[in-house]
Amino acid sequence: MNIIELSGIKKDYPLGNTTVNALRGVDLNIEEGGFLSIIGPSGSGKTTLLNLIGCVDTPTEGSVKIAGQEITTMSDEELTDTRLYRVGFIFQTFNLIPVLNLLENVEFPLLLMKDKKHRLPKSVIRERAEKLVAEVGLSDFMHHRPAELSGGQRQRVAIARALVTNPDIVLADEPTANLDSETGATILNLMKQLNETEKTTFVFSTHDPDVLKYARRIVKIRDGLITETVEN
Amino acid sequence: MKLVFTIAWRNIQRHRRKSAVIGVILFLGAAVMTVGNGVLSGMDRGLSDSIINRFTGQVVVLSRTQERDGVIITAMGKSIEVIKGYAEIKKVLDSQDYIARYLPVGRGITMVLNEAGDMGFTSLIGADFEAYQSMFLNNVQLVEGRFLKKGERGILITEGNRKEIFLNQNFWIQPEGVPVRDAALPDEAKEHRDTLDVRESVVLMGASSENASLDILAPVKGVVRYEYLDKFWRYFNIIDMESFREAFQYVTASDAKVKLDEKKSRIMESENLDYLFGGNVISNTDSAGGYNVRAMVKRDRKAGDAAGVDSGAYNVVFIKLKKGVSIDGAVDRLEKALKNTEGRAVSWKKAAGEIAELATIIRGALFGFVMFIFFVAIIIIMNTLTMTALERVSELGMMRAVGAQKGFISRMFLTETFILSFAFGGAGMLFGIVIVAILNALGITTDNSVLQLLFGGDVFSPFIDFRDVMVGIAELSLVTVLAAIYPIRVTRRITPLEAIARD
Repeated sequence: MNIIELSGIKKDYPLGNTTVNALRGVDLNIEEGGFLSIIGPSGSGKTTLLNLIGCVDTPTEGSVKIAGQEITTMSDEELTDTRLYRVGFIFQTFNLIPVLNLLENVEFPLLLMKDKKHRLPKSVIRERAEKLVAEVGLSDFMHHRPAELSGGQRQRVAIARALVTNPDIVLADEPTANLDSETGATILNLMKQLNETEKTTFVFSTHDPDVLKYARRIVKIRDGLITETVEN
Repeated sequence: MKLVFTIAWRNIQRHRRKSAVIGVILFLGAAVMTVGNGVLSGMDRGLSDSIINRFTGQVVVLSRTQERDGVIITAMGKSIEVIKGYAEIKKVLDSQDYIARYLPVGRGITMVLNEAGDMGFTSLIGADFEAYQSMFLNNVQLVEGRFLKKGERGILITEGNRKEIFLNQNFWIQPEGVPVRDAALPDEAKEHRDTLDVRESVVLMGASSENASLDILAPVKGVVRYEYLDKFWRYFNIIDMESFREAFQYVTASDAKVKLDEKKSRIMESENLDYLFGGNVISNTDSAGGYNVRAMVKRDRKAGDAAGVDSGAYNVVFIKLKKGVSIDGAVDRLEKALKNTEGRAVSWKKAAGEIAELATIIRGALFGFVMFIFFVAIIIIMNTLTMTALERVSELGMMRAVGAQKGFISRMFLTETFILSFAFGGAGMLFGIVIVAILNALGITTDNSVLQLLFGGDVFSPFIDFRDVMVGIAELSLVTVLAAIYPIRVTRRITPLEAIARD
C-alpha cells in the first residue's frame, strides 16, 4: 500500500519577473514502510519535493496524497494536523525552539497533541522523550538550551523530535550533514530499526554515500524531473 | 496552556530589551491612566458633592413653557417661567418612590436699584431657608449677621455679590444692626471709609414674564458665602419666598388669602383693568432717571402673613434621588409621571447649563488626553511587537512545521503581551495609585474657577476606588489586545515554508 502518492506534480516559484519551475511533472509512489533516498544536484528540486510530501508546501499543479488523503484540498488546520500526527520533519538546519531546553524541544510535538486519540499523559511524554534523547546520545544534555549545544548535537535533537510522535513518515533533508560518521551511523541505525519495527516510512534527501547504503530505493532527480529510480 | 505560558515567559526574558521598551510604555501609560482616572473620579465626586448635593439635586423640574433647560445660570434678562399647577406636580413628586426629597424654589434675576439710577443685577433664589439648608447640607455659611428665621421676610446677600454691588453701585450692604467690619471692606471702600454709604436693605426690581415690574425693599439679615464652589454660586442671594414672589409679581400667599367681595369680583371680571390699577400697585420709574428708593417701598408685609398658605408660585423644583437611582432613568420616569402636569423634568446637568457643560468639556479633554496616551502606547507597543514577530519568523515557522496551529502561535504571542501588560501595567497602576494618594495628601487648593471645576471643588481631591481599578484593568486589557492584534496577524501569516526558506 502506498502511503505517499504524487501524480503530475508541478511547482513554480516566482523569482522577480520570471518563474522558476522547481518541479515539472513528478510522479512518485512510496509504499508504507519504505526507505527511500532522493538524490540530485543542488537546485534539482529535492527540497521542494520533500516540502510537498511534508505538507509544508502545496503544488502548483498535480495531486499529493498522504495515507490516501489528498492534501491539495486540505485547509491550513488539516495540513497542520497532518504534519503533527503523520509526518516527522528533520530540517537541513536545526530549527529548535531557542527558549526550550533539549528535553522540552523533543517533547514539544507531543505537547501539541490535544485530541483524545493521541493525547498522552505528561509522564508518558517525558518518558518517551527521555528514551529518544538517550538513543541519540544526549542524555547528559537534557536541560541544555539549543544555544549551549554543538551543531551535531542540535541535529540529533531535531531527529529525536521528528521521531518522538511515532509518525507514519519521516522526512529528512540532509540528516547527517552535521554529524560525524560514527554518530551518523548510530542515527541511521536507529531509523532503520524504527523502519523495520514500526513500519515508519523514511524519505531522505542526501548526498552522503553512507546514507545511500541504507536506502532500499533511490530516486534521482534533475531539473525538476525524476530521471531514474534504483532499487538498492 | 502551561506550554504556551512557559514559552511566552522565556521569550520575554530572551528579548529583554524589547520587553523593557514595551514595559516602560505600559508602565507610564498605566500610571498616567490611573492618575487621569483618579482625577476624573475626584472631579465626578467633587461635582456631585458641590453641585448635586449642595445646589441642584440630581433632577430639576421646570415649567413646560420654559424654553431653555439651563435655569441655574441664565442669560441676562431671560425670565424663568412659573410652574403652573404646582399642587399637581407636588402630588406626583410625593408618589415617586425613587425620590428622596425635593424643594420648590423661586429662581430669577432682579435689578438692584439705588437713587442715582445705577442699576445692577443679581440672582435670587426664593426659598424657605431652613428647608433649603436642610436639603443642601448647610451649604450656605454665615459671614455676618444671621440666617433667615422661619417665616421671616428678608434677604441673605452673598459676600461676592456685596462686593460687586459696591463696585457697581457704590453702596455697602450690611446686615441689620451689624456694624461694618473693616476687614471685610474692599480697598476702594476703605479709601472712603468716612463717607461710605452703608445700607441695611436692598431695593430689588424683578421682571415677570409679562415684563411688568415691582420694586421691593428687602431687609438684609445676613451676609453669607457658599461652602462649596462659592466662586460659581456667589451671585445667588437667598430671599424668602413671599418677597421673591412680590418682586416677580407672582401670586403671593397673602394674595391667595384675599377674598374679594362681589363688586370687586365684577371689576376683576371686566376687561377695564386700568381701573383696577388706578392705585399705586405697580411703581413707576422716575422719568428723570433717578429712583426715590425709600418712597418705592409700599408694603412691609410679613411672610408670616402667609402662614399655612402656599400660593404654589414656584419656577424650579430641586429633587434629590434615593441612593443608587440612575439620574437618566429617574428623569425618564418622572417625565412620564409629569405628563399631564405643567411641569417637566430635566437632569441637573441640563439645569446647571454652562457650569455642567464646562465641567463636561474639562472632563472630555482630560479623558481625551488619557485616550491619546493610550493611542500612542498602542502604536509603539504594536510596532515593537511586530518587529519582534518578524525577527522570529524562523522560530514561529518551525513551530508551525512541526504541528503548531495558528491559534497556538496567537495564544503564545498574546500571552507574552499580557504578561508584560500585567507586570508593567500593574506596576504602573500601583504607582498611579500612590501618586493619587500623594496628591490627595497635599490638599492642593485653587481659586481658579476652571480648576475648581476640574477639582470638583476648591480642593484637588483625586480619588480611586475599586471600580476605578477595575476600569483601569479593563482599559489596560483593551490596550493590550488592540496593540497585539496586528502583530498577531503578522505571526498567523508566517508559514512553515518561510521558516525553511529563511534558513
